[in-house]
Amino acid sequence: MTRGGSAGMVGLALALVGGVLAVQLAHGGGTFEPLRVADPCVVREVTSQSDGIEGLTERLVLIGVDEAACELGVSRETLTLELGRGGEPTDAEVTALHDGLVAAVRRMKDDGTLPPASELVDEALDSADLNRFLEAALRALPDSLVDAALKTDDVLVRAIDDLDLRQVLADLDDQDRLEEQVEAAVTRAVQDSLADRVRDLV
Amino acid sequence: MRRAAGPLLALTVALVLADSAVVTLALPDILVELDASVAQVAWVLISFNLVLGLGAVPTAAGLARADPRIFAALGIAVFAGASAWCGVAGSIDVLIAARCVQAVGGALALLGCLELMVAEWGERRGVAVWVAAGVVGTAAGPVAGGLLTEAFSWEAIFWVQVPFAALAVPAALAVRAAPVDPPDRHPPAVRPNLTLALLSAALTAALFLLVLLLVQGWSRSPATAALTVSVVPVAALAARPLARLLRPSAEVEVAVGCFLVAGGLAGLALLPSAHLGWTVAPQALVGLGLGLTMDRLTAQAMELRLPRARHAGWTIGARHLGVVVGLAILTPVFTADLRAAEVPAQEAITSLVIDAPLPVEDKIALAEGLGEELVQQQGRIPDLHRAFTTLDLDPDERRAADTLERALDSQLERAATWAFRDSFLIGAGLALVALLTVLAPRRRRP
Repeated sequence: MTRGGSAGMVGLALALVGGVLAVQLAHGGGTFEPLRVADPCVVREVTSQSDGIEGLTERLVLIGVDEAACELGVSRETLTLELGRGGEPTDAEVTALHDGLVAAVRRMKDDGTLPPASELVDEALDSADLNRFLEAALRALPDSLVDAALKTDDVLVRAIDDLDLRQVLADLDDQDRLEEQVEAAVTRAVQDSLADRVRDLV
Repeated sequence: MRRAAGPLLALTVALVLADSAVVTLALPDILVELDASVAQVAWVLISFNLVLGLGAVPTAAGLARADPRIFAALGIAVFAGASAWCGVAGSIDVLIAARCVQAVGGALALLGCLELMVAEWGERRGVAVWVAAGVVGTAAGPVAGGLLTEAFSWEAIFWVQVPFAALAVPAALAVRAAPVDPPDRHPPAVRPNLTLALLSAALTAALFLLVLLLVQGWSRSPATAALTVSVVPVAALAARPLARLLRPSAEVEVAVGCFLVAGGLAGLALLPSAHLGWTVAPQALVGLGLGLTMDRLTAQAMELRLPRARHAGWTIGARHLGVVVGLAILTPVFTADLRAAEVPAQEAITSLVIDAPLPVEDKIALAEGLGEELVQQQGRIPDLHRAFTTLDLDPDERRAADTLERALDSQLERAATWAFRDSFLIGAGLALVALLTVLAPRRRRP
């Protein structure tokens, strides 16, 4: 054995260990962990791959869940997992979701991303079960008239108020039942909105 | 038979010590096939090491009153029979029981073989080959087990031992009578045995945890994992030429070895990605550390100490009880961390699915499928691929779905790697404590 050999061995070991750890840390070795979820109270841009009513609904729900999660003090992902597990939602969750969806309508109206009612009429009529002549008459209405008679934000807020969110959450995995409920709520909202407009005119 | 006796006995020693860790790579398969929990499969390793560790010293005492040939032959026969029993075990409880019996046979075989190898080759060479066979077996165990599991099944690990052991029984009986063991002369070498125990505990972290991370956490096949962890034995082989080149003192060699093991384990705790390449350098450090320490410490604990078998029993006890201590400390830590990692992993997956560039209907269908997989995970890493196979997508959407699947898999890999971090760091801590036992000042003799 040699003293120099011992010193050389210690120096080599220090260099090897230090080198390996330094390279690993330089390449993110200390931060290789799951994605950290974002703060739901910070406004983020939401997009959808779908157009029309489906895209509008998706964006409203995404913003609404963010707003609700912010109100409840949890992450968007925690709330989504909680609601998606199929258990009975709490009163606080239902209220927060309702308020969140209403807030989402207001936010989209304020930033100009809420489409005018005329843009949604054709699609709504496609899925509505109406008399052929009535449907043709409604399609023939000029956009300006539709937009003057129906305000998208007003219809959406009325529909959200009308929806039984507990039932909607219970039917999340039943697409037909879900569509039925939303369609009924939107139809009632359109009728009520039109009735109020007429009352205002009288 | 006489000529082949020595090599066959050396092979038996390697086989018994390889069994300490040979099932490591098969544990994920055993976990699924025998419907066991992670904590239960850990007992497949713990039971063998615990019985071998506790049984080695009393077995050595028994050897003093017996013919080593009968002793070794009986041990090898019990070991082979219990190996076959492991191979047909239909439940985790039976497998654990068979492993206990295997360890009893293993203890008899290891100590009997040592005496016969000394009778065959003389004191110096006999002990040296016995030590070397043990180190090779320990280091190569996980690799051999992984390759056999991939090529055949986990049961093959045990069946393959039977013919080797069956040949070793007549080989043991063919060795000429060993000299009578001298009476007790020396107390056990506490310091090298303590270092050996602590280092074995740390090395358990390296081999057992890394294999679980590769197979369970990163979903690599047992063969890929076996090839990956073969870096450790290869680096261990390179350690001896390196030591010969620099010629350090024995204490420095052991101290440097402990430091390299600690550094390698810290490197495994700080992996920058799930790419296998990143595991090579930390494993090389662990392997070099293993090569510099294990045989040197075993030799220090046995050198010129009589009776030989008793001191060999102490080293076997120290090594295998060290493994048990390592598993006992690390198993609850990483299983708890794995459970704790479920929530951040689920949240990361949810976040990516919500923001994925896919139509709403597909996202909902995907969320349902992923939800089912995540609910079923119960401490295991879920297979998210199944949720994607049921989606009916056009080519553009398929590309987006593939990108999403890769991103989700990456989140699972990150979660698994993160969950193993504390355990690797604890392993590094154990190696540093082993280093302290080397550096602690010695009491001067009056």
